[in-house]
Amino acid sequence: MATVPIGPIHPILKEPLRIKLILEGEKPVDAEIEMGYVHRGIEKIMEGKHCHKGIYLAERVCGICSFIHTMTFAECIEHISKIEIPDKAKYLRVIACELERIHSHLIASAVYNLSIEHETLGIWLLNVREIIMDLIEMITGNRVNMGYIVVGGVRRDINREMIDAINKKLDIFVEELKNIIEVFETGPLIALRSKGIAILPYHEIMRTRAVGPVCRGSGLPESDWRLRHPTYQELKFKPVWRKEGDNFARMMVRHEEILESVRLIRKCLELYEESQGDIRVKVDIKGGKGEWRNEAPRGELLYKMEITDGGLIKRIMIRTPTVMNLEAYKYMLKTCPTVSDAVSAYASIDPCISCTERTIIAVKDGKEVPIKFGQI
Amino acid sequence: MVKKLFRKRSINVCIVNTGGCNGCDIEIVSCLSARYDIEQYGIYVHNNPKEADVLLVTGPVTLQWAERLKEIYEKTPEPKIVVAVGACALSGGIFKEGHVVGGVHKVIPVDAKIPGCPPRPSEIIEAILKVAPKALAMREEKLKEQLKEKNIGQNEKLKNRI
Repeated sequence: MATVPIGPIHPILKEPLRIKLILEGEKPVDAEIEMGYVHRGIEKIMEGKHCHKGIYLAERVCGICSFIHTMTFAECIEHISKIEIPDKAKYLRVIACELERIHSHLIASAVYNLSIEHETLGIWLLNVREIIMDLIEMITGNRVNMGYIVVGGVRRDINREMIDAINKKLDIFVEELKNIIEVFETGPLIALRSKGIAILPYHEIMRTRAVGPVCRGSGLPESDWRLRHPTYQELKFKPVWRKEGDNFARMMVRHEEILESVRLIRKCLELYEESQGDIRVKVDIKGGKGEWRNEAPRGELLYKMEITDGGLIKRIMIRTPTVMNLEAYKYMLKTCPTVSDAVSAYASIDPCISCTERTIIAVKDGKEVPIKFGQI
Repeated sequence: MVKKLFRKRSINVCIVNTGGCNGCDIEIVSCLSARYDIEQYGIYVHNNPKEADVLLVTGPVTLQWAERLKEIYEKTPEPKIVVAVGACALSGGIFKEGHVVGGVHKVIPVDAKIPGCPPRPSEIIEAILKVAPKALAMREEKLKEQLKEKNIGQNEKLKNRI
């Protein structure tokens, strides 16, 4: 059987990863995924550092979803040492988090459209994304790695003029995005390249442990961890889902989630104006163990931590969504007729490799044994 | 030679992520959007090292990447320049204590460095435009001289044989 090696540097990949596609004729049968190019040892560097320093490292686990990492890190510590953060900080966190989700979904959609050779839509989406990047820069002060969250609140406040500017820019954004979504939904060639391709059926989700938009595209709305987050419960969040499970459904889930995020931001701004108080509290960190989950743009994100009194990190474990989604990619290959469809299926799970690579595996008597939490 | 005749103003860029956090990569990708429009300057972004003139290296060089990066550098045709993007590529940055070599300059020669975590898209475009045309032209001339010397040497050898 023929094999097609893709990566680590390849025109379709933005990140280093090696995929070996095993072909039968032109149809891909199986895939071998080789990772490990981006292993930097972040968890190891974090050990023994204070959590005010560690939050900057958590931010640089991934550049695209940098905000949700800091948010989960801070909320994990607040959960362990039972710190109540002020209302204003809660809403500001949700606003920045949803803005980041919008820009992450837009870049995912743009990469998918470029991979099915629809360059016009791809560039449009990238252009619309700049409006959101401007908003992020206005609120947090930076475009990508924001440094916005601290344990116990946020760094910067927003004022009346900013709220007006955000509402105005969101109006422009929604108008442009609705046009793009209409093009995506009704374009005959896009439907031909994405409907019925790379199907992940409902009964295979449990086997693949897929999370995030991949899971919600196959009809499991409960996988959204925002349903269990206290601030989102206050906002009456409703997850978006579809049941087809193909490339088209996954991309449409992302597009509709963007509109849902815009609704959440508007509601947050209303609630922010009503709330009063400070944006940051002085924290008194107590030692202990704990874990916290959040919904990153790509799926469930888990932080598990052990800290000492005062805030030194003893041990930290991060699990990111792409590991599970890459496993789901193998199951999608069954309904990919050609190699180029396999490539677009890879783009549709929105992989983020630099998130993924932190697994520690020790070799014991010739066998590979993953190290459990608490052993080190 | 080719560069002087018909690819005078074109610069082909290859992004190499050697273990960064993706932040620099998405800033390079957002250069493609119509606001910055990197292609109006004749810069074409793709990920093929065999056609590239400029290697944009982002991220600290992880241990797995050290050999691979050398291979990619060798496979890129002359004349070529290397631009290190972001704080990690300059010195290892925040990952200095981790499993990294630390800095692109320790593995391959670097022509330009763009600091920032991550640098803005406008800064990236500015740096490429400032460095690339001059450096590529200089390399081209050097190559020509080398070729001449080589040819002279070969001719003398041929004469001696006769």
